[in-house]
Amino acid sequence: MSQSFDFLPTINNREATKLLPWVMAIMVYLSALAATGSLLLNAGFEDWAGSLQGRITVQVTGADKDLIVAQSFEIQETLQRTPGIKSVRILSDEEISLLLEPWLGSGNITEDLPLPIMMDVLINNGAYINLGALESKVKQISDSVYLDDHGQWLNSFYDLANMIEYMSVGILFMVLIVSVCIVIFATKSSMSEHKKTLKIMHLMGAQDKMVARTYQKRFMYYGLKGGVIGLVFSFLTFYGLLNLFQNLSEGLVEMPTLPYLKMCILLLIPVLFALLTMLSARITVLRALGRMV
Amino acid sequence: MVEFKNVSMSYEKGHEVLKNISFKLEPGSMHFLTGPSGSGKTSLLKLIYLAQKPSYGEILMFNRDVAKVKREDLPALRRRIGVVFQDFRLLDHMSAVHNVALPLRIAGASFSEVSEHVEELLSWVGLGDKMNSNPTALSGGEKQRVAIARAVIRRPDIIVADEPTGNVDPKMAERLMYLFVELNKLGTTIVIATHDDALVAKVGAPRLHLIDGKLLQVKGSKEDISEFIENEGISR
Repeated sequence: MSQSFDFLPTINNREATKLLPWVMAIMVYLSALAATGSLLLNAGFEDWAGSLQGRITVQVTGADKDLIVAQSFEIQETLQRTPGIKSVRILSDEEISLLLEPWLGSGNITEDLPLPIMMDVLINNGAYINLGALESKVKQISDSVYLDDHGQWLNSFYDLANMIEYMSVGILFMVLIVSVCIVIFATKSSMSEHKKTLKIMHLMGAQDKMVARTYQKRFMYYGLKGGVIGLVFSFLTFYGLLNLFQNLSEGLVEMPTLPYLKMCILLLIPVLFALLTMLSARITVLRALGRMV
Repeated sequence: MVEFKNVSMSYEKGHEVLKNISFKLEPGSMHFLTGPSGSGKTSLLKLIYLAQKPSYGEILMFNRDVAKVKREDLPALRRRIGVVFQDFRLLDHMSAVHNVALPLRIAGASFSEVSEHVEELLSWVGLGDKMNSNPTALSGGEKQRVAIARAVIRRPDIIVADEPTGNVDPKMAERLMYLFVELNKLGTTIVIATHDDALVAKVGAPRLHLIDGKLLQVKGSKEDISEFIENEGISR
């Protein structure tokens, strides 16, 4: 079994594959952006949805503050007696003001602004609450009471999350296909450039696999080099974007964070591209050499 | 060693360059392949060094029918053949010493294992001071010698040389021919395509003479060739 050695000339300015690491860097950059975006959104969706699941928000509105306060206590008692409900807490005016602050601005909430009474209802784990029946029950106390388990919003939220995730996977898949096509083209171009060398190697008895090994090693290096560059740039981009987003959205939404395990998935992207580049080059070389006598 | 049975060959859409050729090269034999330009010498050599397949007929190399050899086993057969190409086919990006080491590297040896042996051979062909020069810096004759050194370095079972002395001075031609004769004495089968009748006469090895794709096996006399031409009705 003949071992491999690099019989190809070292890369020079005229070499068609010289740009390959940069092309791969762009591909990895795009893939890493798509994957990081998807993972961050996924983590964010889980955090945001998790904070809303198992909760009901109750809102009592009305112009007469004293009346709605009295009705709220009655509603609180009724809810607390309902099986499956863990706790019912009436939010203070300060808490409601804090919730409104991102929209109305700090200091713009005046005494005369008719704030509703809001209650945060916690449901026992796994308990089923018939929201319609519960709402009818509390409506007997006040017509202006509204119950929201965020179900509709959460469903739309999940639909959006799924769509974004599918889109990210789709983008990743397309980038991978384009990358494979580019590698095949680059390999064929390199083989054409070194046609004379390959012919001599062939006639001297070089095994196809030996020639393929030389190519796959070289292309794996290109893939890895480009991959690392692309990943570093994608991290820098995301770091910048997250900072920008954090400044803009302060108080509105909590920024999601990526657990270390998911970060490791991102680190695998250059490895994946290097392997893909290596395999594509190997298969292309073997197929081309297979057509020689 | 090598046996051709009724072999014909034509390139794609081209006319037949070799016509119904049969001959046998015994192990350890030495033959010259002669004939005018375009008579099919290079095509015949290509069939011997397994760069082409015949259109018809059967070729036995090392007692194996080439047509029946699996593709993955062909490199092993090729490694038993040393080839000196007419156009040298040296790798321009490698120095002379690395070019000559190529067959050994392909066979799995590391450069450090073979460098001493390669340098010795290059010195013998008079290129001791050009070992690290790339082919682009060598003259035609020097390239020729590097090509010959590359063909013989691995002591192949058969050496096929296409005009190996075409670009060297008579003294060097004689020296190179001496190398082929010595290798032949050690048991290597040699086939040399040449136009140099004086060299053929001097070495005295049997001649395979090709005219218009047809083969005449002769011992070397011009009378034999004339008789063949008349019998075959070939126009000169």
